[in-house]
Amino acid sequence: MIEFELNGTPVAFHGASDTPLLWAIRDHFRLKGSKFGCGAGLCGACTMHLDDVAVRTCVLPVASVAGKRVTTIEGLTDNHELHPLQQAWVDHNVPQCGYCQSGQIMSAAALLSTTPNPSVADINNALAGNICRCGCYPRIKEAILSVAALTVTDETRAELAYDATAEAPSS
Amino acid sequence: MTVRNVSRRGFLQMGAATGGGLIIGLTLPGCSFSGALPINRDAGAFIPHAFLQITPDNAITFYCPSDEMGQGIRTGLATIIGEELDVHPHNMTVTSAGSHKDYANPEFGIQLTGGSNAIRAFWGPLRQTGANTRALLLEAAALDLGVPASQLATDNGHVVTDGQRLPYGDFVSTAAGMAMPKQSALKANTAFKYIGSEFTRVDALAKSTGTAQFGIDADIPDMVFAVVARAPVAGARVSAVDSDAALAMPGVRHIVPISSGIAVVADAYWQAKKAADALVIRWEDKPLKRVNSAQVRKDLDTALERGEDLEASSQGDVDVGFDVADSIVEADYFAPFLAHAPLEPVNATLHIRGDTADLWTGVQSIQGAQGLVERITGLPRGNIRVHNLYLGGGFGRRATLTHIVEVTEIAMAVNEPVQLLWSREDDIRHGVYRPASLMRLKAGVSNDGRVIAWQAQRSGGNITTDTLTTMLPAMLPNLPNALINGLSGLAKYVFSQWTVDPSSVEGLHETYDFDNYRVSHATVDHGLPLTFWRSVGHSYTAFAVESMMDELADRAGMNPLTFRLANTRNRPRMHGVLARAKRATDEMVVAEGHHLGIAAHNSFHTDVVEIAEVSVESGDIRVHKVTCVADVGTAVNPDIVRAQLEGAVMFGLTAALYGRIDLKNGEVQQSNFHDYPILRMDQAPAVDVILVNSGGDPTGIGEPGVPPLAPAIANAVFRATGQRLRELPLTLA
Repeated sequence: MIEFELNGTPVAFHGASDTPLLWAIRDHFRLKGSKFGCGAGLCGACTMHLDDVAVRTCVLPVASVAGKRVTTIEGLTDNHELHPLQQAWVDHNVPQCGYCQSGQIMSAAALLSTTPNPSVADINNALAGNICRCGCYPRIKEAILSVAALTVTDETRAELAYDATAEAPSS
Repeated sequence: MTVRNVSRRGFLQMGAATGGGLIIGLTLPGCSFSGALPINRDAGAFIPHAFLQITPDNAITFYCPSDEMGQGIRTGLATIIGEELDVHPHNMTVTSAGSHKDYANPEFGIQLTGGSNAIRAFWGPLRQTGANTRALLLEAAALDLGVPASQLATDNGHVVTDGQRLPYGDFVSTAAGMAMPKQSALKANTAFKYIGSEFTRVDALAKSTGTAQFGIDADIPDMVFAVVARAPVAGARVSAVDSDAALAMPGVRHIVPISSGIAVVADAYWQAKKAADALVIRWEDKPLKRVNSAQVRKDLDTALERGEDLEASSQGDVDVGFDVADSIVEADYFAPFLAHAPLEPVNATLHIRGDTADLWTGVQSIQGAQGLVERITGLPRGNIRVHNLYLGGGFGRRATLTHIVEVTEIAMAVNEPVQLLWSREDDIRHGVYRPASLMRLKAGVSNDGRVIAWQAQRSGGNITTDTLTTMLPAMLPNLPNALINGLSGLAKYVFSQWTVDPSSVEGLHETYDFDNYRVSHATVDHGLPLTFWRSVGHSYTAFAVESMMDELADRAGMNPLTFRLANTRNRPRMHGVLARAKRATDEMVVAEGHHLGIAAHNSFHTDVVEIAEVSVESGDIRVHKVTCVADVGTAVNPDIVRAQLEGAVMFGLTAALYGRIDLKNGEVQQSNFHDYPILRMDQAPAVDVILVNSGGDPTGIGEPGVPPLAPAIANAVFRATGQRLRELPLTLA
């Protein structure tokens, strides 16, 4: 038996310990948001967070997550609220077929948790492991950058609120 | 099929009319299901026809007849019907229609998504359906409210009168007893509220939260999981199998032989996968086993050398044209076999209970999927429900339904609900492929930049033959195997000996005003299964044509866009796109060391010019930016049109830089993304889209962005290095 925390809840897996985490999550825990794309850690469709770090779970034996925290797209936020990245994905019309997007978002969220204002190079590095066969890359990049900008906005919200009530500049 | 009664030219035109070489639909009328509509009626709901359900509390559902594989068709078709119905797509539930003749693609005559035609084909019918339904609701409201319909207006799912907004749902019980008007007036294009405006896709939220259901996500209680071991050489059957070790492995429930190999069924996918790897199978011999990639290339060359090509089309007198040309350029261009590699490998889940069956999958023809289940199980068509979930990419791959055959054979054998999943290795090695193609071009140009003679020969496999072979059993479930085999054999003969498969040569001349041209074709079939691959024949013909046009422009000493403008005077739409592209390039500031390459192509009724900004650094081709100029007529949702072009650039670039499927002893050598690479984010260029709208109804957009990409890159590489790269994938000397 392998015990770990799945989206904030303690769980136990009773199957074979070499089962990749992805299949434990999809077949046993019936969470289908994380996808199978290659089975070789090459495409990122299966990306989850292991103790807040993005990992490829199609090649990660479930035994190696014992005692750790696993987060899937279903647990990315509490109470089913949208993560700012998810809102940005919608606003930028990012998905096409959509199959890779759980993985893309999980990789992007892990990036922003350590690097709230990433450069384009940071984004390229963090998401180079996630294939999008439809080619949504330019929009993924824009969506991440827009959230990074939003982070700044949050920090200066009080100031902006003040400005909003200020007299409009004459022109 | 009454081939003999159709003139050769007429046969070609039938194929051309379908946009992607899809002849089958026109020849198989009356083969789709015509029983009760596959719609679950909500309490008190009004179902005026196959496309809509409106409940008394104004919940409006649109049953989308085309399959959503990323191209945005659910949003697009909801917008078209919603425009005339006057309901914003965001105020509808858009869901996948079941299998029924009323959902047949109006151009194909069957329920099939492909050929970039869904928006174009449904544009008229769905507008009319929406307008008729709105008129009916207005008549019902007029009756209920006791005012003339002429005093009523509508706004986004509501009837408006005297400043009151009354939901459509208020009038559905009255409407249900009235006759549907047939030819209600359509809106003027200038009055469009939703068409042409930009809003998010109806599936954007589900696809950003992991809640969108793909075929692989079907979850049936007590389902078991199947993995199939297939022949390394396509089409080979099992001659011997040792399954003792596999059968003893944990979780394994059944090991069953099926037509394509040996299926392992286990409690979990992972168990089935490991056990399938433990099978020891000997396969029968096939001629394909003696085929290597080098041999394919040589055979394509030999076929043209021997003059085995049949004329596909011609105009004027090519020989006279060559006589008077100021200069003549000849070159060979080659494109390899390619796999589609949609990110979701194909899969299907089937539950047979007594005399009913439920199939969950994501395919480009649920009619075909239903037909195959009917054919194999013998169940009545009406007892087979097909639930088409989102497709995790299609690109042509999901029009081939061998996985439906497999899951049905397995479910019949094990008598349990079964989910079949292909691995990535299965997908790359055991798929259906874009045919390898050799194009031999010879062109004569005058000093003033007119192409006055154009000869284009192509050799390679034909996709229509293989497509017929896989589709006939699906579309004609009651036709005996012997007859199916006869028709397949006939198609093979027709397209190799008698006439040319239109999709083998499409795009070899149509973009330009060639007064004197001749297109011909030699069929070379090695036995590797072939099919549509995003943009079909155009995916290789545009590479040849546009590389040659660039060489000719050089020979004439002209700017490549000016040269193309000079050869499209009778093609106003493409001429306009080229002129806009010329303006865009004139305004571009190109970085030091970067070079522009351009290519133009007409496909699926859409004109596209792509301008690639490329540098060659330490032996690497780097693509910085691609500008797409396109005329798609009326863009139903311009942002989705842009997204399709952005995606087509990435898809085309993957093929241009990396894409190749190699054969050794008949076995596909590539297996996963390490040796069949897909473009990644750090290599993705910026894409700028310029839409030129010359007016008119919408034309295709799913595919037309792909063909010009590879030649645009190749032409830029020539500017950068002086090397003409005439083989795909592009490899510097």
